[in-house]
Amino acid sequence: MNRKTIFSLLLLLLFICPEVLANSFERERNAMVRSQIRARGIRDQATLEAMRAVPRHLYVPAAQIRFAYQDRPLPIGYGQTISQPYIVAYMTEIIRPRPDHKILEIGTGSGYQAAILAEIADQVYTIEIIGALGKQARRKLEAQYDNVHVKIADGYYGWEEQAPFDAIVVTAAAEYIPPPLVEQLKPGGRMIIPVGSPFQMQHLMLVEKKEDGGITTRSLMPVRFVPFERAD
Amino acid sequence: MSFPPERAGKRLIISLALHSAAIIAFQLALMQLISIVQWHHFAYMIISIAMLGFGASGTLLALARERLLAISHWLVPLLMTVSGLCMMIAFPITRAGVFQFDVYLLFVESSQFPVLAANYLIFFVPFFAGALAIGILFIKHTREIGTYYFSNLLGSGIGGLLVLFVLGKVYPQSVPPLAGLLSVAAGLLCINRKYFSLHLVAGILAIFTAIFIIREPGQVPISQYKGLAQAMNLPEAEIIHRKPDIHGLVEVVSSPALRFAPALSLSFTGDVPVKKNIFVNGDFYGVIPRYSCGQQNHILDYTTQALPWAIKKGSKVLMINAGEGAPLAHAFSHQPSHVDAIIPNAGVVKMMKTVFSEESGGLFLHDRLHIHTKEARNFLASVSGKQYDLILLPQQDAFGGNAGINALQENYTMTLESFSLMWEHLSDDGLIAVSTWIDYPARTSLKLLSTLVQTLSEKGVSKPGQHIAAVRSWGTITYVLKKSPLTRGEIKNIRAFSARLYFDPLLLPDIQDEERQRFNAAEDEDFFSYVDNIMAGEEGFMEEYGFMIHPARDNKPYFSQFLKLKNIPRMVEIFGSGQVPFLELGYLIVLVTLAQSTILALVFIILPLLRLRKSQKSKGGTLMYFGALGIGYMFVEIILIQRFVLYFGHPAYAISAVISTMLVASGLGSLTSGKLPAIPRLPALIGIIIAIMLLAYTFLLTPVLQGTIAGSLPVKIIISLLLIGIPSYFKGMMFPLGIRYISEYDISQTPWAWGINGSFSVISTSLAMVIAVESGFMTVMAIAVSCYLIASSMFVFHRKIFRQNTKTRSIL
Repeated sequence: MNRKTIFSLLLLLLFICPEVLANSFERERNAMVRSQIRARGIRDQATLEAMRAVPRHLYVPAAQIRFAYQDRPLPIGYGQTISQPYIVAYMTEIIRPRPDHKILEIGTGSGYQAAILAEIADQVYTIEIIGALGKQARRKLEAQYDNVHVKIADGYYGWEEQAPFDAIVVTAAAEYIPPPLVEQLKPGGRMIIPVGSPFQMQHLMLVEKKEDGGITTRSLMPVRFVPFERAD
Repeated sequence: MSFPPERAGKRLIISLALHSAAIIAFQLALMQLISIVQWHHFAYMIISIAMLGFGASGTLLALARERLLAISHWLVPLLMTVSGLCMMIAFPITRAGVFQFDVYLLFVESSQFPVLAANYLIFFVPFFAGALAIGILFIKHTREIGTYYFSNLLGSGIGGLLVLFVLGKVYPQSVPPLAGLLSVAAGLLCINRKYFSLHLVAGILAIFTAIFIIREPGQVPISQYKGLAQAMNLPEAEIIHRKPDIHGLVEVVSSPALRFAPALSLSFTGDVPVKKNIFVNGDFYGVIPRYSCGQQNHILDYTTQALPWAIKKGSKVLMINAGEGAPLAHAFSHQPSHVDAIIPNAGVVKMMKTVFSEESGGLFLHDRLHIHTKEARNFLASVSGKQYDLILLPQQDAFGGNAGINALQENYTMTLESFSLMWEHLSDDGLIAVSTWIDYPARTSLKLLSTLVQTLSEKGVSKPGQHIAAVRSWGTITYVLKKSPLTRGEIKNIRAFSARLYFDPLLLPDIQDEERQRFNAAEDEDFFSYVDNIMAGEEGFMEEYGFMIHPARDNKPYFSQFLKLKNIPRMVEIFGSGQVPFLELGYLIVLVTLAQSTILALVFIILPLLRLRKSQKSKGGTLMYFGALGIGYMFVEIILIQRFVLYFGHPAYAISAVISTMLVASGLGSLTSGKLPAIPRLPALIGIIIAIMLLAYTFLLTPVLQGTIAGSLPVKIIISLLLIGIPSYFKGMMFPLGIRYISEYDISQTPWAWGINGSFSVISTSLAMVIAVESGFMTVMAIAVSCYLIASSMFVFHRKIFRQNTKTRSIL
């Protein structure tokens, strides 16, 4: 084989590979939505479409790309994770996002949840406290979306200038719910918060602000615990 | 030129003691360091593998005994030096670059497995080289084994004590270099002068390495998933205070983004205060409180923890494990007349009284505050007759669960016996209050309730529903147990408290279903039926429940152990195999440790068997005898540590007292064994004496310790020396007697015996924990008794061989 032929083959590969890879990721993504998300009861069409549309592998570290569509959280550095796809879908569905909604996210992390929200809502405001993560996510998100706004700051204070919000997604679990976030939620709005480490049995909590300003919470468990049956 | 034989012998014995001290110091320091960078169960896992170096050394000795003994004059010092140098560099290597391992990533990144294997190997080398040196000395000097074994045990005892002292004074990363220096010095001491200059170079190198590491200890690179690492990711985060302590490395972090308001009520509209966080060994310990005299409003008043104060304004308060003081500041905002606070971590108390005294408003110097740096049980036993209006227990579990990492942490504060003692110290209408984070699936919250209900039952209270109240927020539940029935006024106060803070009553004497989820709905409403079942004393429900929610007792003081082994397949079915480890990781790690050390130990035992296959003598007897000794010795050690934790009220003191006394007393026993007459009946008799003593301990140790727990420290020390020392003295005779015995009838089996003993000792540490969790301490002790009886019987069965081989020789 002469040098010219090898060069031509390499050139061909260069064009074919990304295409093949992209198709492969798309297949994996569709399989993820079918087997991990729909199969577990997520029915909101907008959420399912968003999960199909956002290339999750672009939001994970290079070393984790081959695991991007697996049914589990993945480490993204700084002790943080990108949530399991089902958790992302569940959190999205539960806040009932609509095309005219303004949504606040606390804890940008990889940027994946913000991307999913940006596929559905009008405006997404996302805050990350860890500078390095925030910069990475901003780069990725701003290249893909013009309706996502990333701020590197302490999420405790929310985003007062843009308040109130139709929904708030808190992706980083905290021992307390910051009062300013409750304040910045519209009456009738919904806030979703994960409780527990992503590496542990995580459950979610929905905070609802009633029209009269009253607050209620509902614990939502993606994995329902069933007591063991009597042996006899 | 070489040393005269007598002088060389003495030098060898001193070398052996120094080297043994170095190995134990290295082991303890390594455990502390791995606990800092990962967590303590993982430390246990690595060390158990590393300690199998003892088993591997026995295997190598069995396979190449003659060759190793022939070069022992230079090999032993070389091994000591190599072991010492490896002690110095092992830990820094594992925290650098490609070797940096993270236990949390083990479950999500397969690439962590080879890194874990590399970590095992790195830690294995110093133990293997060190154990081989000891093994060669034992095999070479079987006739003086008593003296050599004494030196080994004495050195280990002193090394253990030294490291406990040193760990409270210097940073833990400085200890392995010091241990390494000790081992290198041991090598230099026993080297033949011909090779002295070569070893001197190694010694100088070791000194420079040690100085470099000790002078520049730096920050230990910890797992990114530990609390301290996460806090350091926050803006402007900095460590403003750092101090080594016997309880662990204390570090205080400051950042404007660190706030403290656990499960804060959603009705709170103020500003959550910024607080400096305290970390011990990289784990969150608490926050630096801010107290001002006359303060009447505290952030914890907006959490369920305020429930007891809504029921009753306690004037005399006992706060158990009050931590760093945030609950203390909360208590003082309710103006109590007297507070006894139990804070076992003396280092934190000292820090709060000095460095952070001004910032905390002099809280720890409050004239109505009395701090006791001991364990709660110990304190309660020492103040019989003292009554409290309010006994406050620390918040249980951790936010989002702790994945069972405390499962095997003995917790004598949360046993039924402890609650019974607290009940005795309550005034007529006094309260016990305890809060917990809500966990999913429910475990801690249900076990707490079952403990309260069982306490009432044991106190003859027929209607527990009249004495227990509980309130639930979005994140926590607080239970109160009242000595007298709750009054109408108190019930009304609880309802008003709940409504004001958006909490829901969970338990009240007249609780209605519809008020249980007014503000905070639970998707799994079965939780309420679990609670009602426990209140109704439904034993069948607790048996059927997927997790262990029976109350803990002193015999099995593992409050945070919830895993039922038989239910693992069902849990995998429900939660998926990937999730189960994160539910109850702690106990699973011990099971994995047990499995891996058993497999490796078997390999180390089987390999020499291939070499010994042609031997005519009984190998089964050697295996049984030295295996039984390994298990028996370690089982007793672990039980005594567990028991003396309660007695001394401090794990560090208990560990040092038990290990050091056992080793030194065993060493003395070993020394004595060399002077015993050559009667084969004698070792059998000693084994039986030990078994009888341990049998008595199975039933009498707890009453004796409980009867003297309130005694003065000198009295307790004398009692401990006697209780630990006497059986240990006899136990110390068994190993050297066995070695001398088999060396007489089949010298090739002696290294094998050394390896068996080491391997079984390592298996025993995790095996004892598993048996203690499943069946309790008494079972562990009963097995130890059986082991000594088995060992004893080996001498009886082998008498015939013994007689054949010793017609004309003196044996023992």
